[in-house]
Amino acid sequence: MTTRDRLGLIAIATLALLAAGWMLVVSPARKEAASLATQVSTAEAQLASAQGSITSATQARARYASAYASVVRLGKAVPPDEEVPSLMYQIAQASGQKHVEFQSIVSGSAGSESSAPSSAPVAATPAGFTQMPFTFVFNGSFADLYHLFKSLDASAVRTSSGGLRVSGRLLTLQGVKLEHKASEGEGHAAEGNLTGTITATAYVLPADQGLAGGATPTSPAAPAATSASSGASGTGAPVATIGATR
Amino acid sequence: MRAVNLIPSEERRGASAGAGRSQGGAYGVLGLIAGLAVLALLFGIAHHQISSRRAQLASITAQTARAQQAASQLTPYTSFMALREQRRKAVAQLVESRFDWAHAFHELGRVLPLGASISSVDGTVASASGASAGASPAATSAAAPATSTTPAGIAVSSSTPPGSVPTFTIGGCAISQSEVALTLLRLRLIDGVSSVSLKSSTRALSSGAAKTNEGACGRDKPTFSAQITFDPLPSAGGASTSATATTTSTGAGQ
Repeated sequence: MTTRDRLGLIAIATLALLAAGWMLVVSPARKEAASLATQVSTAEAQLASAQGSITSATQARARYASAYASVVRLGKAVPPDEEVPSLMYQIAQASGQKHVEFQSIVSGSAGSESSAPSSAPVAATPAGFTQMPFTFVFNGSFADLYHLFKSLDASAVRTSSGGLRVSGRLLTLQGVKLEHKASEGEGHAAEGNLTGTITATAYVLPADQGLAGGATPTSPAAPAATSASSGASGTGAPVATIGATR
Repeated sequence: MRAVNLIPSEERRGASAGAGRSQGGAYGVLGLIAGLAVLALLFGIAHHQISSRRAQLASITAQTARAQQAASQLTPYTSFMALREQRRKAVAQLVESRFDWAHAFHELGRVLPLGASISSVDGTVASASGASAGASPAATSAAAPATSTTPAGIAVSSSTPPGSVPTFTIGGCAISQSEVALTLLRLRLIDGVSSVSLKSSTRALSSGAAKTNEGACGRDKPTFSAQITFDPLPSAGGASTSATATTTSTGAGQ
């Protein structure tokens, strides 16, 4: 064996020894360090997410009072119960202001006047609002009825800023029929007087939600039974107690 | 004669320079020591990283647990905010899906010519699913309401869903058939009207000196009936059909 061969063997043996040390000792340690670095990154992301949740939840807690008031106001447009008396009061008030005679209200679809009045909602969606159809009859001039329609629509409107202004029960008018009103005892049209028959739909919250989902003015925690006053917004509407049922 | 190599064997070509008497073994030992030193350094660095990262991971995990616990205690507040947002969007969608009847009646009074008057108006919002235009309110309300979904995912069933087509069936009187034609033209000027179609225009005739049937409008005056079809209601978030509704009413047509 020449010296050259001997040096080659020594080099190979040294490299083999170093490679074995790398593979058996150093490399696993580096892999574990890299794995821990990944775990640290993941944990940091989770921490950031949790801190973000805390931030948003803290903001939600800070805005809770206004949010609760907002939900109660929305409950005036779509209450958790049928609230027919407050609806009648609202319409009577609006028609009185517009010099329109509020002649009749029939619960249910138009054309069902012959049946016994039933205020039971007729249509519902699994997670949506329940529809309550009504038929109203008003007497008044064209101009007064026009103002009444505006007033009914104004109970819930979108603002120019994209917000929602609620001052009463939300009604969707499906049909309007205007005819000359026959004078009593004569049978011909009274000058300027019209009879307006309006088919409209009011809405009710799903039965399982309640007004505020079980929240109270001070806490979102769900108590066994909660009641809240819908007159919180102070718009002159009747103070009707809306029972939030769970 | 045999050749003799006079060069010393350690200086001949092919022999390692400096191999010395250890025949290169010293280099091997030095290389091994150096390599082991490098390995030890790398291992030390990795070990230090492992220990520090474990400590860091434990600290972060503890912080995360505390943060999650704190967040879970505040979850009712975030849930309530989500409920409020869902409600707001659902109500807003219902508000936006309404047809502006007041504006339509205002427009009707605005465009009606002086020589025509309206004796009856029957307006309905037929659902897009196919309720016939000009149907009675009873027929319209019996139509199945369409359901749309807010971005928040709450299903909202409006009685006048997007795509519904409002129609007016009007009946009235005019002083002449030409005035009926003018009325039809003027009705097309109503904001949001897509079509106006005449159903009938009948003039009550008088025979000789004897007055026969004067009709509802009087002798020689035609009674007409027309149907006004509006554009379909826009989807939620779309342009309002009548954002510029005015508050005055002409009262025409009476």
